[in-house]
Amino acid sequence: MASLGYYLLLAAFVVGAYATAMSVAGARRRSSPMIESGVGAFYLLAAIMTAASAVIVYAFVTGDYSIRYVQRYSDAGQPLFYKLTSYWGGLDGSIMFWVFLLSLFGSAAIYINRERHRELIPYVVAVISVVEMFFLLLMVVHNNPFDTYLTESPADGAGLNPLLQNFYMVIHPPTMYLGFVGLTIPYAFGMAALITGYLDDSWLRAVRRWTMFAWLFLSIGLGLGMIWAYEELGWGGYWMWDPVENAGLLPWFTATAFLHSVMVQERRGMLRAWNVSLVIVTFFLTLFGTFMTRSGIVQSVHSFGQDPVLSKLFTIFMVSMLVFSFGWVIYRMPLLRARNELDSWLSREAAFMFNNWILLFCAGFVLFATMFPTLSEAITGERITVGPPFFNQWMIPIGLTLLMLTGIGPLLAWRKSTVINLRDQFLFPILSGLVIGGVTVALGVRIWSAGICFAFSGFVMGTITQEFWRGARVRQQTTGTDIVTALIGLVGRNKRRYGGYIIHVAVVLLFLGFAGAGFKQEESALMTPGQEVKIGDYVIRHNALAVTDDGRKQMITADMTILKNGVEITKMYPARWFFRKHEDQPTTEVAIRRTLAEDLYIVMPQFDASQQSANVEITVNPLVNWVWLGFGLLAFGTFIALLPESAFTFAVGRVPESAKTATASLILLAIVLPAAVQAQDGTPGPLVNKTTMQRDAEGRIICMCGSAGCVRSPLNNCPMRPACHGYDAQVAQLQKYIKEGKSEDDILSAFVKEYGAAVLAIPSGGFSSVSWVLPYGLAALGLLVLVVTARRWTTQPATAGAGGADIPVDPTIDARLDDELRDLD
Amino acid sequence: MSHKAAKIGVTTLVLATVFGVLLYTTLGESMQYYKYVDEVVGSQTDWSGKKLQVHGYVVPGSIGKKRDALEYRFQIQRNGKTMTAFYNGITPDTFKDESEVVLTGVLTEEGFIASDMTAKCPSKYEAAPGPAGR
Repeated sequence: MASLGYYLLLAAFVVGAYATAMSVAGARRRSSPMIESGVGAFYLLAAIMTAASAVIVYAFVTGDYSIRYVQRYSDAGQPLFYKLTSYWGGLDGSIMFWVFLLSLFGSAAIYINRERHRELIPYVVAVISVVEMFFLLLMVVHNNPFDTYLTESPADGAGLNPLLQNFYMVIHPPTMYLGFVGLTIPYAFGMAALITGYLDDSWLRAVRRWTMFAWLFLSIGLGLGMIWAYEELGWGGYWMWDPVENAGLLPWFTATAFLHSVMVQERRGMLRAWNVSLVIVTFFLTLFGTFMTRSGIVQSVHSFGQDPVLSKLFTIFMVSMLVFSFGWVIYRMPLLRARNELDSWLSREAAFMFNNWILLFCAGFVLFATMFPTLSEAITGERITVGPPFFNQWMIPIGLTLLMLTGIGPLLAWRKSTVINLRDQFLFPILSGLVIGGVTVALGVRIWSAGICFAFSGFVMGTITQEFWRGARVRQQTTGTDIVTALIGLVGRNKRRYGGYIIHVAVVLLFLGFAGAGFKQEESALMTPGQEVKIGDYVIRHNALAVTDDGRKQMITADMTILKNGVEITKMYPARWFFRKHEDQPTTEVAIRRTLAEDLYIVMPQFDASQQSANVEITVNPLVNWVWLGFGLLAFGTFIALLPESAFTFAVGRVPESAKTATASLILLAIVLPAAVQAQDGTPGPLVNKTTMQRDAEGRIICMCGSAGCVRSPLNNCPMRPACHGYDAQVAQLQKYIKEGKSEDDILSAFVKEYGAAVLAIPSGGFSSVSWVLPYGLAALGLLVLVVTARRWTTQPATAGAGGADIPVDPTIDARLDDELRDLD
Repeated sequence: MSHKAAKIGVTTLVLATVFGVLLYTTLGESMQYYKYVDEVVGSQTDWSGKKLQVHGYVVPGSIGKKRDALEYRFQIQRNGKTMTAFYNGITPDTFKDESEVVLTGVLTEEGFIASDMTAKCPSKYEAAPGPAGR
């Protein structure tokens, strides 16, 4: 069995080499039989990889423990689901899974484009085959998943680490791989265009959808990773700039940049060299991310093997890929000249360029900071690390700038915006931004990054609302229908553009969620039965500790009652589980109470069964669910943008199409929001023994060190901690006052005397009002739209003109509409 | 053309300078030295008062905990060099004998006073135990 798998991999390598050679030779000799033969071999490779995958899955299911990989990642007692997914559970198998996916994706891309982009096909085949061959080579010479035990084989498997056995860890990696693998396709087409010199926009048309598709999976993969970290790791957050997380984020930045700049090339024939370079860089970053997380080159909380052979092979491949790709870019430079010059900085293409620079800067910065320990060691010999505060300090302002551009871009006209045009376009969005910002300040939000974020969100929402409203109005006038049908028609008519706007709304939701993290409250305590802890509006009462056993594991569960404003609202059960055979590695089961406004998040890292006492970490995470909702909406928007042209009938509101959309979004929701809370494994933050008063006071006093990184956070949430000099000084002062026996009010007034009134953090109530009004308002709006739409669809199956064709209308319809509706998709 | 090139050059220079200065100032605030245990044992005085991350392995049987308090005292080692570490707080699930930990804190005469502890997470991409290869 194992040797069959191994020979299949060898065969795949040979077939890949054949496909490459035939395609290149066929393209050079213009021999279509040779090219056909290359394409055939390419399909064959996909078939072989499918067979090899079947072999390894079969080995897992039947428990063939003579294969090392199977022995290591499964055991007889594992549920079938985990046996199947153990395929990509380890390094060797994940590489094989990667090649398998790439061969399928590549075949699909070739099959779809075989007629339309005939001249590019042989080189696309060659490029993808070479990438596949690299990974196959890795397996054949170094990481063979079909390795067997030379001597007698064990009777049972070692089993996958229980910490990794959960739903998100099963679906998160393949989603990321789909994103990574998908980004190979645009690269292959870009390279084919460079090699053949067919550098018109046809290769862009071929890859636009693929990039969007890959981008969608990358986004969902990142989202799933965040949910996993939040629900399983138990430290109360979802992102800490760990190298593994960053590895997935890097190509996401450049792919996002590409999806924007591609429009500039389509419309204006500019940024041609830039686009092809972005595709190359994106592909490079997918390779680099893979390399980073498997070679042990960076230090991380995750333990990666130090694998010098793998590092060497990867480095050789990455360097030659860069040299080869950019060599072609330089060689083809004369063909990549822009057809137009930038007319004005007040134009949409300029906004796109800014967007691209910033996204590329993000990628560069994250790469730099992630590699900083390695770089500093190489240069100075000292390994120096930078923590999450450093990332936040840079990425918060950059992210906010990006958010602002999200609102500005759609308002600017192509080529050049006139003053009248600007006033007309910007009036409403700026007003809405100012109103939201004003309301935020009036409600007492005093954290500048969050305040600006809310204001910018208002601005962006203003922009998008205006775009939808104006488009729908014009369409309503031309087709003579009601506004809702017109709105649906508008989206159907120009899916990419309005799908894009939906994604922008999703980005706003994400940013709202991120801003909420600024208002996070944390508390830790040792609780005996009957004891209560207060945090925010909540009072948590510890009732008892239960010890139960279900045969597979022993469970220590704390029983806690949650009161809000004196009323019991729910019970929560944080727990520790001790799996059989893994008693020395108990898992932490987080208890989460979710609401749209905030999550209450309780972890019990330690307990004492004899005294029924529990050590708990309690976190209140405002707005965190908006991040997950944002990811869901982002997937929905991308889905709209990806709908094929044949879905054009959607424009007239046919029910089947809409039903399809609804089903798809339900499926997405089902993936994104399962409530399976079975948290495992944790590295919770430190617990510092502080008096309740000190903790309380720290929440009410703002860190006044004046450093930009502190962003006026309360002391207990200072992002610069522990490197913040102001923090230390103020805490020392606080402790001194407490020692002197001052009351809390006295302490606060002493601080006000020294630093001024600004030292006081938000009075309670201010922020929570925003968090209440804003999300519920948005939710109500969404619900309203949903209800009205559903009514339209059921009562008026088809009202508008068939196919949504524009009826010729009087010239009062301004040129702007014409300009934008006709050309954008 | 040269006019345009000059403009681009000046813009790039200004941006690069701003970036460099910002980077320098922010880096200074958040840098931490990252050392293995055997690199700092015996040179306590060199590191006094500096923020430090120390990477090592917990010595089996060395973990001691105060009753009714989350105060730990344990030994970490690498390549035969050991030192004592103190930590006050909740420990990660994976903190146990022989586990690989990274401590953040300051080095003193008595030992390493850690303010933060991370233990290595399990990862799917760990190197295979035992000899590799066919």
